[in-house]
Amino acid sequence: MTTTMDRTASAGHSAKSPLIEKLNVFTAFGLGIILAVVFYVLAAKLIPEDTDAMLIHTKHDQIILLAMIGWFIGFMVGIGALIGPFRWLLGKDLSHDENMFYAGKDLGTKRYFRYTTDHKVVGIQYLVTTMIIFGVGGILAMLIRTNLGNPEGGWIHPQAYNAIVGIHGIIMIVGTIIMITGPFGNFVMPIMIGARDMAFPRLNALSFWLIVAAIPPILSSFFLGGIMTGWTAYEPLASESPAGMDGYIMFICIFAISTMVAGANITATVVRMRARGMTWNRTPIFIYGVVASVALALPAFPVFFLSQIMSAFDRAMGTTFYNPAGGGSGWLYENLFWLMGHPEVYVILLPAIGALMEMAPVFTRRPLFSFNVAVMGIAGICGLSALVWAHHMYMSGWAPLLNGPFMLTTELISIPTGMLFLVLVGTLWRGRLWLTVPMASIYALLWNFMIGGITGIYLSDVPADGALHGTMFVTAHFHYTLMGAGLTGAVASLSYWFPKMTGRMLDRRLSWVSFWMVQIGFNVAFIGMFLVGLAGQPRRVESYNAMFNRGNMVTTAGAYVIMTGMLILLFAVVDSWRNGIKASDNPWFAKTLEWSVPTPVPLENFATLPVVTTDAYGYGKAKS
Amino acid sequence: MNRRIVGAFATVVLGAGLIAGIGTYVSAAKADTTILDATPAGTLETPQGTLKHFTMDLSIYPDSFFKTSSPHPDWVSYGPSTNFRVPAHSAITFTMKQYDSGEPITNDFFARVAGTMNGTINIDGKDVTKVDANTIGHTFTVRGLSNGKSNLFINVPMPMVPEDKMSENEGEYINPTIVKFTIITGDAGEYVWNCEFPCGDGTLARFGGPMSSQGFMSGHFIVTDN
Amino acid sequence: MSQTQTQDKAPWWKRKDVKETATLWVILSVLIGGLAGEVIARSMGAPASETMENTIRMMKIFTWVSAPVAGLVGAIALKSLMQKRHYGDTPPAESDHEIANSPKASAVWIVTSGLLCLFALVFGMIVMQEDAKSLQAPNAIHVNVTGQQWLWNFDYPDNAGVRSHDLYLPVDRPVIFNVSAKDVKHSFWIVQMGVKVDANPGYITQTAVTPNKIGVFDVRCAELCGLLHAYMQSQVHVVSQADYDAWIKSQGGRA
Ligand code: HEM
Ligand SMILES: [Cu+2]
Ligand SMILES: [Cu+2]
Ligand SMILES: [Cu+2]
Repeated sequence: MTTTMDRTASAGHSAKSPLIEKLNVFTAFGLGIILAVVFYVLAAKLIPEDTDAMLIHTKHDQIILLAMIGWFIGFMVGIGALIGPFRWLLGKDLSHDENMFYAGKDLGTKRYFRYTTDHKVVGIQYLVTTMIIFGVGGILAMLIRTNLGNPEGGWIHPQAYNAIVGIHGIIMIVGTIIMITGPFGNFVMPIMIGARDMAFPRLNALSFWLIVAAIPPILSSFFLGGIMTGWTAYEPLASESPAGMDGYIMFICIFAISTMVAGANITATVVRMRARGMTWNRTPIFIYGVVASVALALPAFPVFFLSQIMSAFDRAMGTTFYNPAGGGSGWLYENLFWLMGHPEVYVILLPAIGALMEMAPVFTRRPLFSFNVAVMGIAGICGLSALVWAHHMYMSGWAPLLNGPFMLTTELISIPTGMLFLVLVGTLWRGRLWLTVPMASIYALLWNFMIGGITGIYLSDVPADGALHGTMFVTAHFHYTLMGAGLTGAVASLSYWFPKMTGRMLDRRLSWVSFWMVQIGFNVAFIGMFLVGLAGQPRRVESYNAMFNRGNMVTTAGAYVIMTGMLILLFAVVDSWRNGIKASDNPWFAKTLEWSVPTPVPLENFATLPVVTTDAYGYGKAKS
Repeated sequence: MNRRIVGAFATVVLGAGLIAGIGTYVSAAKADTTILDATPAGTLETPQGTLKHFTMDLSIYPDSFFKTSSPHPDWVSYGPSTNFRVPAHSAITFTMKQYDSGEPITNDFFARVAGTMNGTINIDGKDVTKVDANTIGHTFTVRGLSNGKSNLFINVPMPMVPEDKMSENEGEYINPTIVKFTIITGDAGEYVWNCEFPCGDGTLARFGGPMSSQGFMSGHFIVTDN
Repeated sequence: MSQTQTQDKAPWWKRKDVKETATLWVILSVLIGGLAGEVIARSMGAPASETMENTIRMMKIFTWVSAPVAGLVGAIALKSLMQKRHYGDTPPAESDHEIANSPKASAVWIVTSGLLCLFALVFGMIVMQEDAKSLQAPNAIHVNVTGQQWLWNFDYPDNAGVRSHDLYLPVDRPVIFNVSAKDVKHSFWIVQMGVKVDANPGYITQTAVTPNKIGVFDVRCAELCGLLHAYMQSQVHVVSQADYDAWIKSQGGRA
């Protein structure tokens, strides 16, 4: 482990394996594509033809899935993920020099394109990847909104439209899942708890490169007929979908592995590697947000993985887990999906709120109000969110008698959610507000998440859900939570930690312009969407009745404003990264540990490991 | 300062341009971009008075070898196009040549004729109001959004051709069932049609493949004012 | 500073900023409750069943109940924003009189939100029971609903052989819908009556409603079901009992 290594012992360059130095993202893509083609050709040759007697033809799906498995294996070998395990098979381990090489000791640009274990490199890799994912998802969103600018649609064919809606949905969900734990959970979190690296640095690199490996399958879906199910991939519709569905399945399976790996790693790091003296009530609240998130993901994603494996079997082996013609049931899928799906929404939200709660004391210059309530709120959400999944199934007919109990658990979740609001407004109360983009983001979160939360309460009410389920109202609700609350927190985190990560300040004026455009555009767009939802416009439709025209025009106009704001932010990030004002080590005068190390952060973060004696919120003198 | 404004502006323009480019590509990438127009044929006496009359000839093939370049030559398909344009408030007489075999339909509601003039269709010279649900080849089923305009609903079941009367050769089509019917269009608008006979063999509920992909067993049905 | 100190001596509810916040709270709560409630009721349009009337009323009440919570958060946030703002590259001076905790405030907040939850739950349960009445009504008529990609069709088992693409219902009679699907999942939804249940292949699910207005309403599919999902719509004609009987007869039923 790099954490235990002596920083001076780097003299000998003797037994370095040349292979390790040759592998990078290019060899990974190369080998991945080669193996995909090989698997494809072999499968097409060797797998017997479908017969007319078969109810479900499986050959095509087998070929596509095998080709994607080939891609996956090739990519992981090509990036060098298997070098360590292979050595262990031979009864050896990596040499010290090799470990240092893995850690990115040369500090060059090349380490960003390799299997590098330094958590700071992984953090940057995640940041860039997240931005690319949001870029792709954003383009798809604009296609959706442009098509819906006109009631009769028709600009995009329904088949392509469904593919766009589904892939927009799932890659945005994946983007939001990793948007905070990825970049900031990796870059900032270990420093924040006073550690030299993650508990398992190689798993850290693994979790990142798994995500890169997962992306080509979902994009290939567009060229394999698309998916027609939306992001939820409900069965049995998924079994009916063209081979694009196999891309979805592969994407989810690889991503689920990545999430499990990252979750285990982050949890172990926080539990085991906090600095001396950092007791649980001196641990920053952001850490709680991140750990709660990955702890929720740990049980959730194996279920998702499983549900997709069963989908793959139904498609490629002719099993009937979900096919009613063979005794299966779509309700099984719905249960598995939402068993993951509801915890997952809090996987997304908790780190975002945690980050903003972390920033609140810094920009109000006062302690976090009621740290204990914040922790209780996070814990309460975690506990309850495993018990509410069937509120997505009130109208499915699966178990009408359980609607009452699920209504109870769902409404209970607003109690711990309310606690987080209390903590935030309690911190603002009589604070001296230092008006920066992160500060303004706290306000944006309060506004957006209030709307998202209250509309959630309508939806949790079974009779109201009878009118609202499956409408644009639901779409607007979850955009208020995922984008209005979650993404706002992520963008705030970016401006807050940008100086530590890049050594430069994020351009202030451009980020303000972007902030206002995104927030105003967002509210215009999604309030319009609430209205058409209330009036009865279903979700995921390619064309709609003329009566919804006005609301949709408003939403589309808002979407264009969001797009403009986001592009301005993109420019600000790229430009500031290269030419921005140099940042001091602690530009916000904050008290958490990550600001105590120099920028750029040295390879092993701390020359001497810190000892913590207080919490990080000692702003002002607290009376009670 | 200036550089920043120019840069931000350029990013917005580039981004919007990229989206416009992809959008144009996606909207053009339709498997079937052709639209078949109805042919004028004088006027017709209908229960609703004398209306302008048009005709439209379509075929339903057991495969798509007739297309010059089909991504799935073995899929069943309508031809020559899957998008139709007809005038509003007129009588349209369709002549369908159905070349495909068939089986029992999953939902015999779609074995009944609906929405045609007099409620009948003419099959090989005989007027009928329904077709034996066990020997359906395909259906032609049109409807639109329920939006207070005239609520078009047409269902025309088409009997199968017995397997032994079909050609052995791919791309050769013989002995069609000929189905004729007249519809009277209402207000202009965008409607859609699809086949309600599950003919996507080898897929779940036999509604995947050609049934769920553009350009085979579904399409647009456009009613225009001019 | 001195002002704060004198304020500190007064009971907290007499302090100026508390009073201002309270005023803001009242104003915001009324604004939010009134405005949002009205917008919701208007957007949802004219109800065509008691179920929908209940739903709209309930959403209005929920809005009024959550308005004080939203109003309080808004009031505190706004008040803080109006008070002491600071711009610049360095932080403002740190204040030395702030509270880091208030078990009392937390307890009040948590208990209140618990009570609000309880209210929402009990109220929701009561309305749920009320809506379920149609399902038990002895004089209910039955309609079998079949979803198939991408159309609805309706059978009227009380009159064997009567089938339709648009739904016909008599006014003021409870109707029980037995809903199923031929291929994939759909969701049977009568928009203006506020009822919905998924149509599952291989299973029959039920929902019920009593239409209470004569008119033409909409059935839409509320579960993405593939290519032409957007077009999976039918009309509902709610007519008088006499007109309904006539329609049944015209379709070959005995009425
Ligand atoms: C007070 C808190 C919340 C409550 C009571 C609540 C309740 C609900 C309910 C009942 C639904 C199902 C609606 C339907 O399909 O008919 C729903 C959907 C959804 N919610 Fe929430 N929610 C809350 C907060 C959140 C948060 C914090 C997030 C995400 C960060 C979120 C994300 C979603 C998503 C993604 C869906 C829709 C999934 C889909 O059908 O595609 N919700 N919510
Ligand atoms: Cu949920
Ligand atoms: Cu067909
Ligand atoms: Cu449907």
